[in-house]
Amino acid sequence: MDVSGILEEHKGRFQPVQVERLIPVEHDLGCLASFDINMLDDAALRADAGVRETYLQGLSREGTQLLVNELFTLPTVVDEDSVYAALPKRSLVLPREKPVPKEKPMTRWEKFAKIKGIQKRKRGAMVFDEAQGEWRPRFGFKGVNNDGQQPWLLEVPQSADPYQDQYQVRREEKKERIEKNQRRHQRNAEESAGKDIGLTPHKMRKRDLQSALVLSKGSTASMGRFDAELKGEPRVKGLRKKRSPLVGAAGVEKSKSLEILGRVAKGDSSATVLNVRKAQRAINSSKRRDAAGGGAATGSKRKGSGKR
Amino acid sequence: MRPLTDDETKVLFEKLAKYIGRNIVHLIDRPDEPYCFRLQKDRVYYVREDIMRKATAVGRRNLVALGVCFGKFTKTGKFRMHITALPYLAQYAKYKVWIKPNGEMPFLYGNHVVKAHIGRVTEDIPEHQGVIVYNMADVPLGFGVSARSTVDMRKVDPTGITVFHQADNGEYLREEDTLF
Repeated sequence: MDVSGILEEHKGRFQPVQVERLIPVEHDLGCLASFDINMLDDAALRADAGVRETYLQGLSREGTQLLVNELFTLPTVVDEDSVYAALPKRSLVLPREKPVPKEKPMTRWEKFAKIKGIQKRKRGAMVFDEAQGEWRPRFGFKGVNNDGQQPWLLEVPQSADPYQDQYQVRREEKKERIEKNQRRHQRNAEESAGKDIGLTPHKMRKRDLQSALVLSKGSTASMGRFDAELKGEPRVKGLRKKRSPLVGAAGVEKSKSLEILGRVAKGDSSATVLNVRKAQRAINSSKRRDAAGGGAATGSKRKGSGKR
Repeated sequence: MRPLTDDETKVLFEKLAKYIGRNIVHLIDRPDEPYCFRLQKDRVYYVREDIMRKATAVGRRNLVALGVCFGKFTKTGKFRMHITALPYLAQYAKYKVWIKPNGEMPFLYGNHVVKAHIGRVTEDIPEHQGVIVYNMADVPLGFGVSARSTVDMRKVDPTGITVFHQADNGEYLREEDTLF
């Protein structure tokens, strides 16, 4: 019996299972994807819509066929009423949507701990309070270190003033510790903020001060026109200083020059640094104090220099 | 052209005082005619007031010079004396050094004054003070800064530097294009 005719007819009804590709197609079965890097038929793509559509559909069918073929080579798991293929782990790496988070700059303590090799020790949040016979938080609400849970008796140290309130001392010490920690926190925050723009905290403060200075310069009624010039003052754009007139009244410029000369000649460059009147007053007052009685020797010495 | 600010005046006077001391008064307060200092393109000019008044008609860009140039302000705000100020410095000089004829040429070529070339020195020159250099015929040649006090000058060996060169008359030729 010749069945070739029937086979041919049967074959004609279905698409072929085997697909030929010039370059083998790559699969990533983990995410049910196949990657075909073969060239597309340029002529078919440029042809009219019907031809192009059938070409593209055929192409995707072949690709799917290859994927399904590959799936059937996988080891299978047989359940009660179905057969599963166990997918391997996917090899494709998808790029992440958001940028990788920046590493936080280390705080001063973290740097120090790293150098010293100090490990972070896990400390339980709860502590057993023997006096009350219960577990209580180490700090915070109802914590053991709270002011409400003070010991009923406090020893007065040998060196301390007996009339000093030791509870008050405790409170103040705690306050100081908190403030110190806050200052350190602030410093760490400033340092890390400056690190991004490559500035030290000192430079940052200087920059802020300069910008504030520039702002304040333009904030007077005359927009800083009559302000005294500061030493090392930044140059402000658009700020016009009041200059002396090009041709002043007779004698005004001369008297001004003579006045400056008087200052220069008296004590050379130090004329503007030393406030002579103030120094004189300080010396006089120290003399008076010496005359009145002892105990002012050190104070008078310091004040005698009279520097502003 | 504009008058000097207070700071600029102070810097200028401090420099001038090194050479002529309190005699700056005679520059400001003249019996003959009023004079003033004016700044034009970083240079300080000592100018008669009526000339200055006329110069106000000239724009800042077009004004090349007026009066006598005393020197210029550097970009860092210091003041440098120019040789053109020599006539006034020589007139009121506090400290003077006279150099022998064989020392004239080396000094006029921009060298320091060595001990061997000194003919005469004012008494009581302190160290690092401005001095005016004359030849033996009392013609001012330039100015400089004393390297040692008069007392110490005697101890220096003949090739030792006694006055550091700052400006000399040779600059009129050597620095003709930048001086004015």
